[in-house]
Amino acid sequence: MIIGFRTTVEGVLLTCLKLRQLPDAQLMFAEDLEELQRKIDFAGLETDLELVGFESAASTTELIARVFGKHWNRHVKFSRRKEPDPIHFIDLVLRHADCDPSELVRTLSLSEDVPSLFSGKMQLQKRCYRCMREVNLSYQRLCMFARPAFVRGILTVDIKPEHRIEDMFCRWLARKNPDLPVAVVHGDKAWIGNGHFVGLDRFIVVTSLFMGNLEAMNVSDEVEELWDVYYDSQMIDSRRNKKHAKKFQPKAASSVSGMSMKDRYKVERGISPCKLGDFFEI
Amino acid sequence: MSYVKTPNEAHKTLTERMRYLASGTKYDSCNQSAVCHAFAPDGRCIQLYKTLLTNYCSGECTYCPNRCERDTPRVSLSPDEVVKITWSFYRRNAVEGLFLSSGVIGDAENTSEKQLEVARKLRAQGFQGYIHMRLMPGTPKYLLEEIADVANKFGVNAETTSSINYSEVCPNFDYTNDVLQRLKWTKELIIEKRKEVGYGGRIIGANDTQFVVGAADESDRDIVHTVNKFMDKYDLRRPYFMSFDPVADTPLEHNTPSPQWREVRLYQTSYLLKDYGLKAKDLDEIYTDKGFLKDQDPKILLAQSNAEIFPIDINNASQQELLLVPGIGPVSASRIMQSRPINCEQELARMGVVITRARPYIKIKGRCQTNLSAFMEACS
Ligand code: SF4
Repeated sequence: MIIGFRTTVEGVLLTCLKLRQLPDAQLMFAEDLEELQRKIDFAGLETDLELVGFESAASTTELIARVFGKHWNRHVKFSRRKEPDPIHFIDLVLRHADCDPSELVRTLSLSEDVPSLFSGKMQLQKRCYRCMREVNLSYQRLCMFARPAFVRGILTVDIKPEHRIEDMFCRWLARKNPDLPVAVVHGDKAWIGNGHFVGLDRFIVVTSLFMGNLEAMNVSDEVEELWDVYYDSQMIDSRRNKKHAKKFQPKAASSVSGMSMKDRYKVERGISPCKLGDFFEI
Repeated sequence: MSYVKTPNEAHKTLTERMRYLASGTKYDSCNQSAVCHAFAPDGRCIQLYKTLLTNYCSGECTYCPNRCERDTPRVSLSPDEVVKITWSFYRRNAVEGLFLSSGVIGDAENTSEKQLEVARKLRAQGFQGYIHMRLMPGTPKYLLEEIADVANKFGVNAETTSSINYSEVCPNFDYTNDVLQRLKWTKELIIEKRKEVGYGGRIIGANDTQFVVGAADESDRDIVHTVNKFMDKYDLRRPYFMSFDPVADTPLEHNTPSPQWREVRLYQTSYLLKDYGLKAKDLDEIYTDKGFLKDQDPKILLAQSNAEIFPIDINNASQQELLLVPGIGPVSASRIMQSRPINCEQELARMGVVITRARPYIKIKGRCQTNLSAFMEACS
């Protein structure tokens, strides 16, 4: 018996419930039915196939309660560390570049309760937890260090995340700037938030070529110089703590934008105390 | 309200004025526990655009570079300029909001009105970022009420621990009326605002104040007791400390700077009050005879002064007892409570316990797992 499931939170939860009933079933996953069909054809499988998560409209909160019991969100409420709830946990793991959704389903079906996902003793639980942390970290780094700029009136940022978090980041940016259209560009795709300002859906994915044709109001943007001045003014020389600063402004994460790269350079090299302009000051 | 430039600032560009005024707030902490966007080379995070509205001041605080008698370039930013810079940084995702302080422009009322003008303009333009305002001692109640409508966090600096000390360092203001009374009003306003249903989804921060450490003669014990009192009485959640650094051409220019570690140890001690449920009197053993903190982790000092309760059994101890163990924080303590029984140190390490610190103070399944070197390491 093969369970073919869709790689969505809903699909994962439904498959987890199914796997508890049929623990010997094999798992196969895909983003849509065509991909699943291709995989089945490629593997030449001829066993029974049960499709899960491709049509259902079940609520994720109901499903998670069936998987972990009605107190599923208790752990998150009482945990002092800001852990994501299990629905968000699954979503984050699915976004990992090396995520194996079958492994995630098995982990969930073997976990009796939510705390074991976080302080898991099994190897599988630890692996999923690590994936969740890595995705969360790279999302947080984007929120910290990405520096969008106005491109024809759209607050636009070009990113190259390791995991599939472009839409998450776009929603965050749109929430932060609810009065403007925002765009997150990765390769040849662009995720547009608050698209209604430019005659599109509120949230939509387009090609970056299409984005190039969009017009909105023009807003001038001459901020980098001011930022440099501000950044330099905040440094307390007698308290310089290179190790600490380097830890928080890591090299890899800072390459997310030119502005944070410059900040990182100053963390590394310090801020020059003497600039040409200083000679002309009182 | 019209904005008047002082005569000697007319020739300064926006960038120059911005630099002066931003460096005037570089010692202020603005932690709002949201997204940090950059880290300065000293390791402190940058979350907000921190600035003074002006460094012109009619006050004579003895430690302050902006005191009126000091000969220093005076500059100001107009409310519109602050609004513009805040927007620009915010749009570039370089900050989460604004931290606004100021020198006293005439009197507290006038100054707070200008600060309010900035916040109002931002909100009127749809700004949804964080606004933190450091207000002047003596800000009238009606203005505090209006500020509470637009700011996420606001407060008056206490600077020190008593009226006598305060009158020495800030001779223009009255501690009881201008500071404590304002802290009380701020607390009441915060409670009121939090009760308002659907308050625009805006975060309302806790009461906020800052101490200048080392400008007056107060001991660390006095500071910690004052913080504790403020937490109980004014719902202060987190105090800020700023080390005194003598500034040339001020009455305290020849005083000794407060060592950097003192500020750090005070922060650590304040966390014991904030996150560990301890009271100032529980910490009375950790000070020197003169009431100052030593340059050692206060939690380790506390554990050493209560040596008779250790080692505690990790599987039977209450959460409060676990919190007394060096290397175990509130998060790891609650994880331990949830994951019992604990069988070995590795399990504790996975929960975030710093084993090298905790080892001498705990036993697992009846066994102490310490040795002399671990103990010495934990003591050092
Ligand atoms: S009121 Fe503020 S700015 Fe003015 S002297 Fe005192 S501390 Fe300095």
